Amino acid sequence: MSSYTPSSRAARVAANDGDDLHFCSTCTFSSVCSERGYDKSRLRDLHVLVEHIGPFREGQHIFREGDRFNSIAGVRAGTVKTYITDRNGREQVLGFFLPGEVIGLNAISQSRYPCNAIALDEVLLCNFSFSKMSELAASMPGLQQQLFRLMSEDIGKATLLAGDHTADERMAAFLILMSRRYASPDMPARRFRLTMPRTDIANFLRLAAETVSRILKRFQTDGLVRVERRDVELLDTTRLMEIASNVLRN
Amino acid sequence: MHARKEHCILPRMTTTPVFDAELLRRHPQYGPRYTSYPTAPQFHEAFGERELRLHAERSNADLIPRPISLYVHVPYCFSPCFYCGCNRIITRDLQKGEFYLERLLREISMVAPLFARDREVMQVHFGGGTPNFLSPTQLGQILDSMGRHFHFSDSPTRDFSIEIDPRHVSPGDIAKLAQLGLNRASLGVQDFNPDVQQAVNRVQSIEQTLAVIDACHDSGMRSVNVDLIYGLPQQTLEGFAETLATIIKAQPGRLAIYGYAHMPSLFRAQKQISEEQLPDTEMRLALLALAVERLTGAGYQYIGMDHFALPDDDLAIAQTAGSLQRNFMGYTTHAACDLVGLGVSAISHIDESYSQNPRDLAGWEVALDEGRLPVFRGMSLDFDDTLRADIIQQLMCQAEIDIEEIERRYEIDFNSYFSGARERLAKLVEDGLVEITATHIVATSKGRYLLRIIAMCFDNYLTSPNSHGDSPRFSKAV
Repeated sequence: MSSYTPSSRAARVAANDGDDLHFCSTCTFSSVCSERGYDKSRLRDLHVLVEHIGPFREGQHIFREGDRFNSIAGVRAGTVKTYITDRNGREQVLGFFLPGEVIGLNAISQSRYPCNAIALDEVLLCNFSFSKMSELAASMPGLQQQLFRLMSEDIGKATLLAGDHTADERMAAFLILMSRRYASPDMPARRFRLTMPRTDIANFLRLAAETVSRILKRFQTDGLVRVERRDVELLDTTRLMEIASNVLRN
Repeated sequence: MHARKEHCILPRMTTTPVFDAELLRRHPQYGPRYTSYPTAPQFHEAFGERELRLHAERSNADLIPRPISLYVHVPYCFSPCFYCGCNRIITRDLQKGEFYLERLLREISMVAPLFARDREVMQVHFGGGTPNFLSPTQLGQILDSMGRHFHFSDSPTRDFSIEIDPRHVSPGDIAKLAQLGLNRASLGVQDFNPDVQQAVNRVQSIEQTLAVIDACHDSGMRSVNVDLIYGLPQQTLEGFAETLATIIKAQPGRLAIYGYAHMPSLFRAQKQISEEQLPDTEMRLALLALAVERLTGAGYQYIGMDHFALPDDDLAIAQTAGSLQRNFMGYTTHAACDLVGLGVSAISHIDESYSQNPRDLAGWEVALDEGRLPVFRGMSLDFDDTLRADIIQQLMCQAEIDIEEIERRYEIDFNSYFSGARERLAKLVEDGLVEITATHIVATSKGRYLLRIIAMCFDNYLTSPNSHGDSPRFSKAV
């Protein structure tokens, strides 16, 4: 079946996969390792397991809550959603992971994954054996720092929308944050495609799906954004930032 | 970025169309009418219920899901009009309508849950066949059920329309239909000339017709459309001129002038029409020219393809604003909807897909009785399909293509992507139908009456090895 709409084809193309001597273009660890003179062949020498896995199809689970934790994974292409199911059987979306971002970090303190991860479209991953990575980090302060930074960002993401914020504030903050995360040199973040369905965004923001659409319609009428299917263009970032300021301050 | 974009802000059609019979004569090709692209012959049976459900789910996933447009097909007619190429069943047995209604209600209850509840229905259209084969009460039951299962918009711009055979409806019925919320009516007239009416087996008096038009206006319907046909057997310039004068006096907001397509191998009823009685190409052109002259002379604005509207009609306003759209129901101001087709042979356009219900009554009935969604064929549109659909839509509605807008929206280099189309367009440029600038491809005032020939340059399925161009599968372009 065809993908649903054609624009921003570049966004769907897998990241530059690198080769034996170079990292993938999306790799979050590439700069810290490169700076220290480690290229991929060197890492292999160090017996760090770096393994490309996937593709995962839309709707396929990458790991499930309770699975043994042994690796973290960088997203090379596609979007991953993490979620838990509450006692009433209701799904609760915890977050979305875009190319260049790392999943599994919230499992580091435990031996099992505390949530499910599912592919929202075709997903390619790069698996890092966590134990090997920890060993390497001990002798590579840059890598250690990068890990800490990723972990704190991850925690930040999860708590960001937990505060007592209005629906408008949440929506505006979500758009601002997503535009930052979608930013890349060859794709201006003023325009980006939200690869997650409306219901997942609503669930993540703890809003009703109708509310997400209603707010976006109003934002559109007010000239803040332009929405076309899943594509968003931010027309007035300043005003969006104002609306989101209560959320983003944290 | 797709054919049904919500905000279609394009340069307005500024040129007045010029009818050039000599040019039309030189392009007597067959061509699709582009109520969809790709056209229905591209649909295939590998597309089924599962695919339809996936596309529906995807359509709900949009940030602001599209509104919904509902089409209801009523296949029954009391008698056969010989020119007809529609999917219909001739009967006088009203009981059949009751059985059909039952299954329609079942289909509505099965299809509605595919769509998120907050998606508003902006358009309802009853087509046929003869929708008024069903009584106002029966039509009311359908509307009731749709209103319960879907979320009807209460916007004043919603369009709830019905095709009406004036021979089988009373002014009282029209008032009842208006009370049901139907605010637009489309009346089949074709030609008032008795010889023509006899030859096509549709005898319909002027009085009867005008009474229905008046009833529509009196009951507060927002607009009335009248269908006329040129190229019918026994048609003369004098007779057609009288028909045009009579209709213009009744001032319907919209008028469609269709060219009769004689394809008896496809449409059995047309075998009743003797070819000798058909006007030749010269005569067809003269009849069309006459219609164009009389209608524009009476203040009607040419919308595109076969359609005209008074300047204060929503269609004319939308065209001037650049927000006109085109779908299976013709020109509309609501094509940015997902179209859900109900009833035998009905076509849906959901997300980037087309799908069609079985064209035979038995196939449709069996599917519903077995609890399956009655889809028998369709197709998913890929990148190329979507891009070309958008271009053809722009051509049909705005008579021009905004090259830069297409390049921005689809991230392509227009000239290299469409080098083949550019080659085909060259001939039309020579003929003065098209002008090409660095930023736009524009149908000239002469080209405005040959939009489908311009659109055909962009049809990727016409140029493929198993080309179906120049074959009588499609109706004549003129």
